[in-house]
Amino acid sequence: MANFGQEGNITPHTYETATGYNLLGLVYDSLLQIDEDGVPQPWLAEELTISDDGLTYTMPIRDDAVWHDGEPLTAEDVAFSFDYYQNGPPGRFRTAVSAVESATADSDTVTVQLTQPAASFELRTLAEVPILPEHIWSSIPAPDEAPFDDSTNVGSGPYRLVESDPGTSYMFEMNPDYFAGTPTVEEIRVIQFANDAGAVAALRSGEVDMITRSVTPEQIPVLNSQEGLSVLEGPEYVTTLLVFDTQKEPFSNVAVRQAMDLATDRELLVSDVYLGAAIPGNAGWVHPESPFFDESVETTFDVDAANALLDDAGITDSDGDGVRELDGEPLEVELLAVSSNALRMRIAELLASQYAEIGMNIEVASLDQEAFDQLTWPEYDVALGRNYDMAVFGWSAPTQADIGQMGALVDSDPTLGNLNIMGYVSDEADALAAELRTESDPDARAAVADELQALIAEELPLITLLYPNGLYGHSPAAFDGWTSITGQGPINKLSFIPADARP
Amino acid sequence: MTPKTPSPARPKTSGVPTVSIRTFITPRDSTRLAPRDFTRVIGTVGAIIVSTLVLVAIFAPLIAPYDPSIRAGAPFSPPSAEHLLGTNDVGQDILSELIFGTRVSLMVGVVAASAAMLIGTTIGLVGGYFPRVGGIIMRGVDVVLVLPFLPLLIVLSTYLGRSVLNTILVIAFLIWAPTARVIRSQVLSLSRRDYVTAARSMNAGDGYIIRRHVLPRTFLLAIGEFVAATSAAILLESSLSFLGLGDPLQKSWGSVLYWAQARGAFLTPAWQWWVLPPGVLIMLAALGFALLGYALEQKINPRLRRA
Repeated sequence: MANFGQEGNITPHTYETATGYNLLGLVYDSLLQIDEDGVPQPWLAEELTISDDGLTYTMPIRDDAVWHDGEPLTAEDVAFSFDYYQNGPPGRFRTAVSAVESATADSDTVTVQLTQPAASFELRTLAEVPILPEHIWSSIPAPDEAPFDDSTNVGSGPYRLVESDPGTSYMFEMNPDYFAGTPTVEEIRVIQFANDAGAVAALRSGEVDMITRSVTPEQIPVLNSQEGLSVLEGPEYVTTLLVFDTQKEPFSNVAVRQAMDLATDRELLVSDVYLGAAIPGNAGWVHPESPFFDESVETTFDVDAANALLDDAGITDSDGDGVRELDGEPLEVELLAVSSNALRMRIAELLASQYAEIGMNIEVASLDQEAFDQLTWPEYDVALGRNYDMAVFGWSAPTQADIGQMGALVDSDPTLGNLNIMGYVSDEADALAAELRTESDPDARAAVADELQALIAEELPLITLLYPNGLYGHSPAAFDGWTSITGQGPINKLSFIPADARP
Repeated sequence: MTPKTPSPARPKTSGVPTVSIRTFITPRDSTRLAPRDFTRVIGTVGAIIVSTLVLVAIFAPLIAPYDPSIRAGAPFSPPSAEHLLGTNDVGQDILSELIFGTRVSLMVGVVAASAAMLIGTTIGLVGGYFPRVGGIIMRGVDVVLVLPFLPLLIVLSTYLGRSVLNTILVIAFLIWAPTARVIRSQVLSLSRRDYVTAARSMNAGDGYIIRRHVLPRTFLLAIGEFVAATSAAILLESSLSFLGLGDPLQKSWGSVLYWAQARGAFLTPAWQWWVLPPGVLIMLAALGFALLGYALEQKINPRLRRA
């Protein structure tokens, strides 16, 4: 397989990207495993019992799971892992276990006690956090600085990582004793390329059989036209968004945001920039493939309505220069895009011409990733504020896979709304976000999600432009067992275990 | 990457005024005339290429079939009667992009070369007219001369950010040094001519001598250097834009190449109409200015000129 982009050693403490996380799933197991529909199912845990108050999770651990070094995987390992992540360096897994008060092992059963009910606990914690072997890690105080070798590289998954050379290649060897059955491929070698062009060239020359990351849409005809190659295309929960500083004029004015939403021709962005390989954005943020998608939320494209809306709001072009004024200030803003992302730059250009139709003068500026992040999301902490007008942004799949993240998108408290780079403040949204976090009844939660989608579509703290599809070039003759998880692509352990063993 | 034109006889080192000695050397035999005639042909070809490009740049809105910023057809269309060079990834007409790109590419080349000329000539004048100060300044010039070009260019432009102005500044900063050297040696020789000594003995000021005797005779040389530097600047602008270090939203030949690369045209048949034409244009422009510069240098540079 070919990978491209930055990546670290594939361990729970040092992986760097979403692809690294996906590959991690080949080596480690979690208590629950999401199935093809993204729903958590028993995995290392044989079953899951939740107390009525939603605070106590009881899970018997299966007795046939074995670490790669032959030691049995026990309930103690599970309890240890929770404790270890809580005291470890900051990161995705430490955040995931932050709601855990205690995890205790009693013979083969683990009991997890939470400080407060957490509706996303199954999906975000039990189905995500890789369980670590206590006999290896209990003696290592700083896991992110630990040496990486055979002695620490022990998981319980279908594959064992036998060689890891970040920037060059990774080698996975199958674990014949895997509890869910013998893996379907003996060896997986992941070769690192500098960019997608290199990876595509390697696939076309037969050097590799699969590309682990989504390629750009113009590669579809190239790959499909070659004998023996094809592209796995499927919806992904990845988003491409237009964000703006909602505390700053003109975006603090809801009419401006609504007019921009109306003036956004999402179909054109999908057809011209993504060549059809994307799904037009839903004004209510949630991906149409998500079980929480609310069909009643409408996304409209109507330039005339947008112009009428601005006229009614008193935002008119009083000096006749083609640019409307708000409180005497012309609607002139800078739209940022990351220069290394050709597609987003093109989107920015198209948006600038679309918003010119409603009397906005938009200057597109391209920045490198670092400078872009520093302006939009300084130090990846929304509490530090922001310093931009508008930007073409995007979030990765986990923000859509867990509906609870929709609260994080709009909550005005920086610790709860850790994705709210728009600085959006609304009491109504805060209340809905809080309900979404704690409501554990599935139907009631779906109703809250619907309300929040309607609110987002009305208030438009951000404009959801589109959802790029996952495009994975591969050679079906070499391997054709790819199993995609809805919204999250085919690189996961389900692709490599026998069909009858999948959850 | 080495800078610009063939410059077979750059003054070697500073200090010794060699010109006065050469005055006594008799012209060599007549076979020397042949290359001079050839020089004229080279100069004409260069001038034709350059003036054609300049005309294209000036009349771009009249020549270009489409506005290069609008969607003129389906994205990724191959060449057709409507779009002679096809369309790019967002349906813009590539031919129109190239025609308008001529403006930015030439403008960056000319402005950067002018700026380089200004720096180079000033430094060369000061360095040549005041030999003691010059000795120190020239060591600085040596440092700039040996700097590795492209890596430094990349570092600087990454640091400064993407804009046309920064691109111009960075290029100018990197290409002035050879000019300073050439100008300085000319000034060194001029300022020791008898008539300069005579003027000085009549209490003429430095400013007067530079204006009256030195500058006019260095000016032509600077023009020759300028044309050659333009060729280098155009190449550098294209390299920067292609690497995505220029402003990718500004239409230039290099940025057309950048988008071709970013959208995979190097791996598909689209390279024939999306990669080759801007490449040829860059080559033509660099060649045109280089030929013109070479011809001018042959005419102007006292070390190359033969009676």
